[in-house]
Amino acid sequence: MNDGFLTIDSVTVRYDHYVAISKISTKLALGKFHVIMGPNGGGKTTLIKAIAGLVAYEGRIEMDGLDMKKYLKKHPIGYLAQRGAQFQSFPLTVYQVVEMGRYRFKESRMVRKEHVMRYLQEVKMTSLAKRPISELSGGQQQRVLIARALATESKLMIMDEPLTGMDPRSQSKFYEMIERIKEEHSLTIIMSSHDIGFTTAYAENVFCINKRLVPHSEAAKLLKEPEIRKLYGPNIHLVEHHHLSSGEEEDV
Amino acid sequence: MFEFLSLTFMQRALLGGELIAVVAGIVGPILLFRKMSFTSVGISHGAFAGIALGILIGVSPMWAAIAFAMGIGLLIGFVSKTGKISEDATIGTFFAFFMALGIFLIDISKGYHVDVMGYLFGNLLAISSSDVYFAAIVLLITVFWYLFRGRATVYSTFDEDFSRIVGIPVDVDYYFFMLVVSLVTIIAVMFVGVVLASSIMIAPSAASKMLSKKFSNVVLFSILFGMVAVFGGIAFSFYTNIPSGPSVVFFITAIFAISLGIKWSRNFVKS
Repeated sequence: MNDGFLTIDSVTVRYDHYVAISKISTKLALGKFHVIMGPNGGGKTTLIKAIAGLVAYEGRIEMDGLDMKKYLKKHPIGYLAQRGAQFQSFPLTVYQVVEMGRYRFKESRMVRKEHVMRYLQEVKMTSLAKRPISELSGGQQQRVLIARALATESKLMIMDEPLTGMDPRSQSKFYEMIERIKEEHSLTIIMSSHDIGFTTAYAENVFCINKRLVPHSEAAKLLKEPEIRKLYGPNIHLVEHHHLSSGEEEDV
Repeated sequence: MFEFLSLTFMQRALLGGELIAVVAGIVGPILLFRKMSFTSVGISHGAFAGIALGILIGVSPMWAAIAFAMGIGLLIGFVSKTGKISEDATIGTFFAFFMALGIFLIDISKGYHVDVMGYLFGNLLAISSSDVYFAAIVLLITVFWYLFRGRATVYSTFDEDFSRIVGIPVDVDYYFFMLVVSLVTIIAVMFVGVVLASSIMIAPSAASKMLSKKFSNVVLFSILFGMVAVFGGIAFSFYTNIPSGPSVVFFITAIFAISLGIKWSRNFVKS
């Protein structure tokens, strides 16, 4: 599977008469960590939702040669949406949130529990299993959502701006965790972000969209692209980031 | 002290009222977390138009109300889904129309003596055995729905996109939920009237939400609070000779106020 591609071919999404993204085409190698960058309103979330099958689109999206809509019927994908207000008030425990990822599996309660606890262990959150998700910090909530995405046993994980509201240290720890689970589970990860900061230090492929595809190149090359300044404005200062912390620790 | 329990009509009122408390306690928390608290108001007012139509054309007002309530529940859901506007905005548009339609239909039902106040404010003490049987059937339907689709509906309430991705039929579940809410609302209308139905649907859940951090506990407390309010309200109504519907609503509101006080106290201690 890791030799294939997720192919996005001339994808356009319209909301009534408003064109959110237009004729975006790119090929994303499976087994890699891809980041979609671009300004707010540039269509990152729309493209993420199109790949996840959550919005109707024109064009074609294929997963390793198979039409994405057909692929999604047979395979769940790991999906992290932007955190909404419901996380602040909904009375579900951490365990119950991760359990959502097991919905498709016909398994006994005991087996399900083993799976849920294993995925919570992977993100170092077992000690918080019984806590309401609303009581967790933003970084902890993201770990729970990653455990939920892993619980689907998908090989494709899609994340929509998961770093929103995180401080730099939490962001660095988040990326380290993503790198680890990507290797351990042979995942393809597609993440949207409008933060140039850490992205280029960790991502294996970065591409920019602003309604349309801007450049598509390796992360290092991207830093030299004058298009970035066109996207974010002339006063942007690009600073190269390196991995900040060593090792992950339980964020209790 | 509990001599009122020996009276048949009080037993029926209590049994019917407790059945409503259970079904409202099951669907109320989902309505609340979906920010659809106003739904029962829309459906109950729609049911009033159904009652009026039943009187006008000479069919059972209850069956006409059930048909109207279910139709309006689906209509609210359909307009909200396809028009991409909130349920509350849809209900805000429709409920006054259905109330006006009900009053108009009753007005043209010449030759009939219609107890409009009875329909608007209900009378728990006047419910019949067949009303109680109907409430028991709604309880069975609600429990059946909750056992088979409750978990999925809670999931889609929490995170609709992820629910779609893991294969939950979110839209189908939504319309099933609206049908169940319509049925629950209609028995609340039969027992406590159009105006007070939304109180018994929502207030116990709102009180419970303030005290519980697990969804299952919100449901349990919601049922419990509703049952206590029904028992207290009916007993209070018997001994003070005030109408039973408002009496139950007073008790529900008192429980809500106590829960609010407990929540404020907890927040005060924390800070």
